[in-house]
Amino acid sequence: MPRAGKDARVPDKIGGFVRKLAVDVVVVGGGSTGAGVVRDVAMRGYSTVLLDRADLGQGTTARFHGLLHSGGRYVVSDPLSATECADENAILTRIQASAIERTGGYFVTAPGDDPAFADKFLAGAAATRVPAREISVGEALKAEPRLNPGILRAIEVQDGSVDGWQLVWGAARSAINHGAQILTYHKVTKIERDANRVTGVRCVDLKTGEEVQIDCGFVLNCAGPWAGQIAAMADCEPVDVIPGRGIMIAMNHRLVNRVINRCIYPADGDILVPVHTVSIIGTTDVKVEDPDNLAIPHEEVQEMLDAGEILIPGFRQARAVHAWAGARPLIKDSRVAAADTRHMSRGMAVIDHTTRDGLDGLLTIGGGKLTTYRLMAEHIVDAMCTKLGEKRACHTADEVIPGSESGKTYVVTHRLEAREHDRTEDQIICECELMSRKMFTDALAEQPRGSFDDLRRQLRLGMGPCQGGFCSLRATALALEADHIDVERASGLMKLFLKNRWIGLWPILYGDQVRQTALDNWIFQGTLDVEHLPQPEQEVEL
Amino acid sequence: MSRVVVIGAGIAGLTAAIRLARAGLAVTLVSKGVGGLQLSQGTVDVFGYDPVRVTHPLEALDVRAAADPKHPYASIGREAVESGVAYLADLVGPDLLVGDPAANLNLPTAVGAVRPTCLAQPSMLAGACVDGASFVIVGLRRLKDFPAHLIAANLARTVLPDGGRLQARHLVIDVPARDGEIDSSGLTYARAFDDPGFRKRFAAALLPLLTHGDSVGLPAVLGLHDLQAWRKLSDALGHPVFEIPLPPPAVPGLRLNETLLTAARTAGVRLVQGNRVVSARVTEGRVAAVTVAQAGAAREYPAEAFVLASGGFESGALAMDSYGTLTETIFGLPLAGQDAGELVHGDYWGAQQPLFAVGVGVEASMRPVDAAGAPVYPNLYAAGGILAGAYRWSEKSGEGIAVGSAVKAADAIVRELA
Repeated sequence: MPRAGKDARVPDKIGGFVRKLAVDVVVVGGGSTGAGVVRDVAMRGYSTVLLDRADLGQGTTARFHGLLHSGGRYVVSDPLSATECADENAILTRIQASAIERTGGYFVTAPGDDPAFADKFLAGAAATRVPAREISVGEALKAEPRLNPGILRAIEVQDGSVDGWQLVWGAARSAINHGAQILTYHKVTKIERDANRVTGVRCVDLKTGEEVQIDCGFVLNCAGPWAGQIAAMADCEPVDVIPGRGIMIAMNHRLVNRVINRCIYPADGDILVPVHTVSIIGTTDVKVEDPDNLAIPHEEVQEMLDAGEILIPGFRQARAVHAWAGARPLIKDSRVAAADTRHMSRGMAVIDHTTRDGLDGLLTIGGGKLTTYRLMAEHIVDAMCTKLGEKRACHTADEVIPGSESGKTYVVTHRLEAREHDRTEDQIICECELMSRKMFTDALAEQPRGSFDDLRRQLRLGMGPCQGGFCSLRATALALEADHIDVERASGLMKLFLKNRWIGLWPILYGDQVRQTALDNWIFQGTLDVEHLPQPEQEVEL
Repeated sequence: MSRVVVIGAGIAGLTAAIRLARAGLAVTLVSKGVGGLQLSQGTVDVFGYDPVRVTHPLEALDVRAAADPKHPYASIGREAVESGVAYLADLVGPDLLVGDPAANLNLPTAVGAVRPTCLAQPSMLAGACVDGASFVIVGLRRLKDFPAHLIAANLARTVLPDGGRLQARHLVIDVPARDGEIDSSGLTYARAFDDPGFRKRFAAALLPLLTHGDSVGLPAVLGLHDLQAWRKLSDALGHPVFEIPLPPPAVPGLRLNETLLTAARTAGVRLVQGNRVVSARVTEGRVAAVTVAQAGAAREYPAEAFVLASGGFESGALAMDSYGTLTETIFGLPLAGQDAGELVHGDYWGAQQPLFAVGVGVEASMRPVDAAGAPVYPNLYAAGGILAGAYRWSEKSGEGIAVGSAVKAADAIVRELA
């Protein structure tokens, strides 16, 4: 979706061409932080471009449980975060309604949990201005009949669920409307400096192999768990990032319609979030070295299922459809031991490379959480303005993001409502997620070089119970109808999609999902013989 | 009381039940739902890949059986497979299955791969992928599961098993099966193609788009009940026509299913469909009865012999719980193939997932055996997808295993009860 002028091709030293751009600010990282930052930067009148080596929201953002915090989770452990969450929850629900479902939430004292924690919770909520109200166990069970009938106390809060991809793309589209460029699949290779000043960024367009040279005066490093790698490209002293890996499991149904939290000090497996058609349980927290290599270990899956069983008896009999792992973007903080990343401050940490490395024009941001992404962006852009000696006010809380003009938050049946209107004119390509043909072709037109996974993140293609069993072939057929996709790429996109779905399937393959997988294998291997299509010289990878 | 109870209404259960009934035994067939034929491609696979493409399936299965004693073909044997395939072909007749069990056909799939199979429906034969063939693949705008462009483009870039090439192009036409419906299923179209008026409209829309020499590839929806519908369409067009199977619901499989059900009823098989067998009663080491969950109350079906043709993981006959415990869900039979190390791994396009070769091991008369190789019950037999040791979908052996084991089990029961 390139936009804005100043884009030209110039001869390379070795006879090729380098694409050249010039902007005020380059934002590195297309997660929620980067998307929020590029929107804020653009709204304050700077020319800007966002770079990500993959799709928007493919790293940490959206590899989460989908919780829009009420603040309740932090009222005891981190009061400042609690208040920020409560405020930002209200702002996002106002400006970005289409990415949010107002589910509400409960904090429940499970059998064996300390009932006195609820008193600390209520006191903390009052002190941090997080709306919370104790309700009777009977009222909670009436509203959420699958909840463990042995719970001792229940507190109602304003948790919601948020679609991380809709959130990020909404912010990106707003930024584009303010003149920003969003370049996905552009991998930064070098941050260029002239002595003590940042002068530009070099990157490579991974989909075409083309080199891109961007002249700029400022770089905002929002690469989350990869922020250390980006800072190193400017020859800075190492920034210690501690990726804390957490796994999540999506269950096939809305086992609950509200977010269910354990009313305890934050721990593993203590949240169940209804998101669209599924419920997501999370999460674990294990320190890892490499954010590009996140396992979904068997024992952590078992731990999550046991934790689910405490909140919802019979949880193990429900059908798990997918699992994933995300890396928390925590920057090392000397106040806590590095091995326990959960209890490091969730607040953002801004690293000023002028004082740290003697380099002007680079700020690195770490920490934070999705619910407060807008506020984090405001802070880092404020910091940049201060360094530039300029006063430009932040307006990101005042302007509604494209797609949310109606102010309507979504409900689980929103697609059903849409299909009721167009079902006689348009085919349903993914029955599980009620995705129409037009939704797919529109998304492909917007991201012509996108993989099915890139499209999936906005469309939910293949995210339901069949995990691509029926929709993959249809998506392949539609892709081939696009002028720029030939049969080898279309077939390769299908193979890549099936391969990627499996990454999140095999760690939780049990129960009815085994049965589904047998059917899917029957279709793809048995009926279609897809593994005997002509072998390409190189498989499609992006 | 029936002398034999068959559990499962897929190709294995139906074949076994008909063979037993025709041998003069009183047979009850109980099944939870419609069997697996509607999920299949509607042809008879015997052996398609080992792992390279197989040309002569009977010879290849002999070789495989000798090399791999855990493969179902090692217990079933070539003779029973030949006999089973011939029996099935005879049961459904040449309007539904034709071909030579000694040689594989290579037919196009709905993604445009060239798939080996042994017997096929006559409506598919003109799609044989041989050097010099010239296809036009015709899609229907309102039938989303038949990607004509993809099929043609993949076939056109494929070096065929005979080393040659074929020509393929595609076109898409829009002939609604039902007014006001943009998203029609294959079944809706199949019923429409049973109607001479629809066929006439369809032929009129398609004919002007064809050129001399075209063989016309269409989705396998050319009639559900009228087994000559495809031939009538071909006559109307004046071109050879062939069907390409779609993902489920599979019309060619439904044709086989209907025909076999009729044959079962005619043979006197008592059909109890829509009820799940939930448990078995064992007396003095023999299966005395199975219990079926029926409306109102559970009901016992006693018999002298039982055939377990309940399928694999896809039907719920085999299950794995969240702790990784595997079970055969009716009799709790010992399962073979669990010692293959990691049963599920993360490489989707790599080696097969060993989980899907887990099942029951059998001896020569198809009785499930324990780890020591002894029959678990003297009067319990198994057939079809429940058998351990084969990746049926990838090696294309499902129907060969099903009918071979069904015939072998039935014949053993007939001998036993005679």
